[in-house]
Amino acid sequence: MLTLSPSARKSVNLIIHFAERESKSRYKRSLLGWFWSFANPLTTVAVYSFVFGVVYNAQPPVTANGNAENFGLFLFTGLIAWSVFTGVVTGCMGWLQGVSDLRKKIYFPTETALLGGAVANAIQTALEAVVLLVIMALFANISWTAVFLVFSLLLTMAFALGIGFIVAVLNARYRDIQYLIGVLIGVGFFLVPIVYPPSLLDRDDVPEIGRQFVTWNPPALFVEIARDGVYFLQTPDPLKLLVAAAWAVGTFTVGWFYFRARSMEISEEP
Amino acid sequence: MTIGEITVSGVSKRFRLERNRPSSLKEAILRLGRNKDVDDFWVLRDVDFHIEPGTFFGLIGHNGSGKSTLLRLMANIHRPTAGEITTEGRMSALLELGSGFHPDLTGRENVFLNGAMLGLTRKHMADAMDDIIEFSGIGDFIDEPVKIYSSGMYVRLGFAVAVNVDPEILLVDEVIAVGDEEFQRRCMDHMNMLRERGTTIVLVSHNAALMRSLCDRVGWLDHGQLLELGDADHVIDAYLEHVSSGGGNTLTTRD
Repeated sequence: MLTLSPSARKSVNLIIHFAERESKSRYKRSLLGWFWSFANPLTTVAVYSFVFGVVYNAQPPVTANGNAENFGLFLFTGLIAWSVFTGVVTGCMGWLQGVSDLRKKIYFPTETALLGGAVANAIQTALEAVVLLVIMALFANISWTAVFLVFSLLLTMAFALGIGFIVAVLNARYRDIQYLIGVLIGVGFFLVPIVYPPSLLDRDDVPEIGRQFVTWNPPALFVEIARDGVYFLQTPDPLKLLVAAAWAVGTFTVGWFYFRARSMEISEEP
Repeated sequence: MTIGEITVSGVSKRFRLERNRPSSLKEAILRLGRNKDVDDFWVLRDVDFHIEPGTFFGLIGHNGSGKSTLLRLMANIHRPTAGEITTEGRMSALLELGSGFHPDLTGRENVFLNGAMLGLTRKHMADAMDDIIEFSGIGDFIDEPVKIYSSGMYVRLGFAVAVNVDPEILLVDEVIAVGDEEFQRRCMDHMNMLRERGTTIVLVSHNAALMRSLCDRVGWLDHGQLLELGDADHVIDAYLEHVSSGGGNTLTTRD
C-alpha cells in the first residue's frame, strides 16, 4: 500500500468499511440480491423504449457504424451517467442519516460514510458500464472513445458528491430537502437530454435560452460526453469537456469544504 | 506533547436551544429575516486544566454540571465553542450504553467498525477478537445484530472493545454501573491493569465512593465551571460536604 499518514489510512479503512456495508446490506434480505440493482435501469430502458421507440416511433440518432440504432441503447447510455448523479445525491442524504446516531457516540471523520457509499455506487456503476460495453461490442459499435464514458462517469461522481455533501448537511437539519431533491430529480430527468436527443430542440419554436440550458447544464454535459464515447464513437467537443471538468472539480471542492466546515455540527442535531 | 496527555485550555461550550425551531424548510423560509428565538445555554465556561499521562482522572459533579459534555468534547464528538482540547495518543471512549455500535450490524461487524474508527487494522481486530468475546462473555451472540442485545450485553461488549484495543487514553462515562457485580469487578481489574500499563483514564461519575477508590486526581465541575481540582480525597471531601449542605441537588437551568 502507499505510504499514508495514520489518519489517512484510518479514513481509507473506514471508506472501505462503509462501502462494504452499503454493498452488502442493500439487498441483504432479498432472494435475487444484485439482480435488483439492474432491475431499475432495465425497466426504465424498457418502458421508455416502448413509449418513444414503439408508440411514438421515434428514430434514435444514427450510431457510428450505422447498425446499433436502438432506442434502448441510446437511453441506456444516457441513463448510466444520470443514475450515478441521482444515486449519489440521494444516497449522500441517506448515508449521513445512517451514521448520525453513531456519530453522536463516537468520533470518526463523517465524510468517510459518504465516500464509502459513493465507492459502493461506483462499483455498481462499473458493472452497468461493462454490460453496456458488452452489448455495444456485440453490435460492433465500440472504439477507444469508450474512455470518455469512464471520464464522464468520474466527472459525474465528483459533481454528484459535491452536491451530495451539501444536501446531506442541509437534510440533517430540514428533512424537506430529501423530498425537494426527489422532485428536482424528477424534473431534471427531462431537462437533461436522456430520453431525447438534444438535436430535437433545434427548432425555431424552442427559445434559445431553453436550448442553451439543455445543452450546457452539467448533467447534460456528462450525458453527452458518455454518449459521444460509446454511442457516436466520437471525441467530445473539447470546450464541453473543459466546462464539464470545471463543473465537477468546482462543485466537489465547494461541497467538500462546506461539509468539512459543518460536519462537527451534525452530532448536535437533535 | 507526550502520549497520553490531555490539555483543556479555556474551553467553553454553548448549546443553542432554538425555541420553536423551524422543523421544515417552509417554516424556515417564512421566518427569514425575523430574529431567531434562541436560548444560549452555556454548558461549560472557561474550563482550564491539564492531565498528565498515566493519571487516573475523575470528573465529579451533580447532574447537568457539564462533566459528560466535557468528556464528549475530549472524545471529539462535539467541538468547543471557545478554547481548545488537545489529546495525544489513541483514544477509546465509552460514553454511554452501546457507545458507537450500529444496531443493524452484528457484534462482530461492530467490533471491526469500532476498530476502523480507532484507526486499527482488520488484522489487529481479528487478533483481539477472541479476547473481546471472552471478556464480554456474550458467546454466540457475537454474530447476532446488536439491536437484539440486552442492555447488559451492549455495555459488556462496548467495554470489552474499548479496553482491548490498547488505548493510550480511555474515557469512561459511568457505564460500568450497568453490568452485574461480576462484570463490574472485571472492569475494575481491567482498568487497574490499564492504569499500570500507563494508560490515561478519565472517568465521569457522581459516585463518590467509586471515584475515591479509583482516581488519583479529581476535578469538580459545578454549573459548567471547574470549582476545584486536586488530589482525589481532598476534592471528593469538598464535594460531599457541598452536597450534604444541600447545594448539589439543584438541576442546572438556563442561565
